[in-house]
Amino acid sequence: MLHRRIYQFLIIYTLGLGLLLALKYGLNLSDYVIPSPAEIGRTSRAYAGPYLLAVLNTLAVAILGHILSIGLATLVAVTGRLTAWIGSFIRTAAYNIQAYPMVAVAPIIFILLGDGLLSRLLIAAMICYFPLLLSFIGVFSEPVREIEHFYESTGRMTWRLQVKIRAFENIQKLTTVIVGSATMAMVGTIVAEFIAATAGIGYSIRIALYQSDLAKILVALFLIGVGTSLYLVGLEWAGNALQARWKRG
Amino acid sequence: MRSKRAGSAVEMASTRQTAATVFLTACLALLAACGPQEKPEEVNYRLKWLYNISSVGDLYAEAHGHFARSGLKVNVKPGGPERDALKELELGHAQFGVASADQVLRAAAKGAPIVVLAQLFQVNPLHWIYRPDQTAFSGGGDLRGRRIGVTFGGNDEAILRALLARWGIAEDQVTLFSVRYDYTPFYERRVDFWPLYLNAQAVIIGEKLEKAGETFAFLSPDQLGVRFVANSVVTTRAMVEKRPETVKRFLAALLEGWREALDPRNEQTAVQVLLEADRETPEAVVRRQLSVTRELMLPPAGVAFGTIDTAAWKQTEEILRSQGLIPGSVDVESLLFTFK
Repeated sequence: MLHRRIYQFLIIYTLGLGLLLALKYGLNLSDYVIPSPAEIGRTSRAYAGPYLLAVLNTLAVAILGHILSIGLATLVAVTGRLTAWIGSFIRTAAYNIQAYPMVAVAPIIFILLGDGLLSRLLIAAMICYFPLLLSFIGVFSEPVREIEHFYESTGRMTWRLQVKIRAFENIQKLTTVIVGSATMAMVGTIVAEFIAATAGIGYSIRIALYQSDLAKILVALFLIGVGTSLYLVGLEWAGNALQARWKRG
Repeated sequence: MRSKRAGSAVEMASTRQTAATVFLTACLALLAACGPQEKPEEVNYRLKWLYNISSVGDLYAEAHGHFARSGLKVNVKPGGPERDALKELELGHAQFGVASADQVLRAAAKGAPIVVLAQLFQVNPLHWIYRPDQTAFSGGGDLRGRRIGVTFGGNDEAILRALLARWGIAEDQVTLFSVRYDYTPFYERRVDFWPLYLNAQAVIIGEKLEKAGETFAFLSPDQLGVRFVANSVVTTRAMVEKRPETVKRFLAALLEGWREALDPRNEQTAVQVLLEADRETPEAVVRRQLSVTRELMLPPAGVAFGTIDTAAWKQTEEILRSQGLIPGSVDVESLLFTFK
């Protein structure tokens, strides 16, 4: 799984880079517009270390924000499952909040919370939280009649059991949603860093953009791609392990 | 009777002849109108930033027909954080552009085939605002021990580092504070010096501080010996070599537009031109911005508007090189173009 993800990413990255270089040499563009392979190599040697640390910093915040979102979405969805009204209210609120562009909301968060870890965490969580919440509400509000009916008619149904049944029956769907939202957590963190933070790879990209240095951006994109692929593989592995364990249980 | 008939026949013939002449003339006029006319030459001009006071002359030249009279149709396009005039020049999306000296030098250091045609700002508008009642400041040495706002990666970082080097201040003798769009840290007095553009944000921030009854002043890097060049008009070497007449006409019309826009007698017109493009800034603010822009852009008496300050360009190159922002030296004089 790991190999597949990584080499798929490498194929995409190489194709993109190849296209850029084809444009560079086809149109005879200077290194300022598109850097030469030699310059990309020089930049990689000079910046791979600091950028790797920046990506790890970003990844750590993204994972934390993602975990926070999953926990909160589970809590809200389980509560929202109780009555149709609460579920519908949460759904409407989630749609409304999701409609606000994060680039407009983020500056307010940074003014209130400063440009430290908390702001980055909150923005990362906000970006991946609402898609997770909507899917979780869908899963936890939908009864699995053929199974739940048995426990209800025998009077053994509890709310914990109900949540377990619905989660177990939709584990594949939940895993897909969680893996999908992981990339959003990463994007959210990078956006937050780009807008106002003073650490992370988003911040480094911002500085590189100020300096019109595409070589640095290409190095950053490569490391972001590798970091995100590793996180996705980890999530898929955890999802599969959980499914196997539940099936055995 | 006969002679009367003959007379009327002659009159009729004469009338027909006149009508035919009128008809033919009209046809010829129509043909002339529909025939091939000299179309104005179309070029794109990419600004450095969104439409604001720093582009008032560019917009004025367009709105008041300076380009049209020179046989040009110039599309004055706003810039922005994601737009780089130099890249657009090289890709052929624009023929002329505005860029700051650090952008030009970085591009030239990487082989971009560009030349500078004119220098718009004679004094860089980037300054630092401070409160004299909180921060006593009489010279560069007073920066020591201060908390100074800086946009890491931006040209204010390069200017500040040059200032510190010039005044013999080590980096650990000051505290650098990362700056973004939010001025709260300065309002809350958490930072002593905050970077801003004297002809743009300084007018708005100054107004707010005045309302709050606070005093403020500006630190000018130029007055402290750091002359870092700001906006300049650029084009490609190919344009200068292959279309020199177009470049001459464009530059003459542009500089004439700028001179007129900055002339106090044309203030009302210049303000209106800008307000049509930038509807977000109140008129009173634009007026004050225009007055500051005039001071930063107009060269000393006897020097032509747009004159390139070669010494300042060389200093800018030296700053970038000494800070490792360009890989090697750039032949500044070969970049600065003047028509002989």
